[in-house]
Amino acid sequence: MADFSWEVRSPLDRALVAGSYGAQGDAGVSLTEIRNFDLVQVMARRGKAGEMAKAAQARFGIAAPETPKAVDIADATMIWSGPDQFLVLSKGGKHTIEALAPVFVGSASLSDQSHARALIGISGEKARAMLAKLSSIDLHPDVFGVGAAAATSMDHTSVTLWRGGDHDGQAVFNLLVFATFAESLWHTILDSAAEYGVTIGHSEELA
Amino acid sequence: MRIICPFCGERELGEFTYLGDAKPQRPAADAGEDAVYDYVYLRDNIAGVMSEHWYHGGGCRTWLKVTRNTLTHEISAVEPAAGAGAAKVGA
Ligand SMILES: [Zn+2]
Repeated sequence: MADFSWEVRSPLDRALVAGSYGAQGDAGVSLTEIRNFDLVQVMARRGKAGEMAKAAQARFGIAAPETPKAVDIADATMIWSGPDQFLVLSKGGKHTIEALAPVFVGSASLSDQSHARALIGISGEKARAMLAKLSSIDLHPDVFGVGAAAATSMDHTSVTLWRGGDHDGQAVFNLLVFATFAESLWHTILDSAAEYGVTIGHSEELA
Repeated sequence: MRIICPFCGERELGEFTYLGDAKPQRPAADAGEDAVYDYVYLRDNIAGVMSEHWYHGGGCRTWLKVTRNTLTHEISAVEPAAGAGAAKVGA
């Protein structure tokens, strides 16, 4: 049998060039790809949504989101992804699919999405202006506050979008996109952000 | 046109896919060839209020039952289709 050696690398490994892009001067948009996270999809089995909710409460000490919201706990974020389903995003191996499987046994089906999505953090003074070119949903802070989430589409690509905690008084938008669409959406984001000036980087830390 | 998804809120048409008439019911296994033919192929071409299946594929990936006037595009009701959103349906 042939020997394979698998090298884990980000779906944006080629497309992401750290540094500045677009208009010179103070960058209006900051793009940070977050790498090496654990992401587990949790979906209630038919008629078991109540049991799933109880299991989540017991595990995380807080209710899983039942409406489009992202809920932060000490070492993970639960993000609504549809009726009776949510994503668990974490770092450091605490909430891997292996760790969560016994928690949701019988109540929910789990699917490991850790290597199936790319995670992009979007911030900066012009972040919302840039996103307005890509998204048809209203991201005004009165409507889309901290912790708001949406399963939506950008540039015909399904994404999970949520607003994390503010950073330096500025909104931070988090975007999960399918790995194989990440490069395409990344280029679209760059095109949209170029006029504002962009700072590009990647990080191992969740925003 | 926009559809108010009961799970996601108001979204643009581009996030949805149209399936068609929500009225036809799958006939019983012994219903006979005519009933199956009717179910699979025959559709009314309604000018007015119609019950339709739409898929929110660009959002929460839920099937919806939408009551829409085909003449005006006015939508009078949106509800999850049977089997969608396990907790909300089947009551
Ligand atoms: Zn929806």
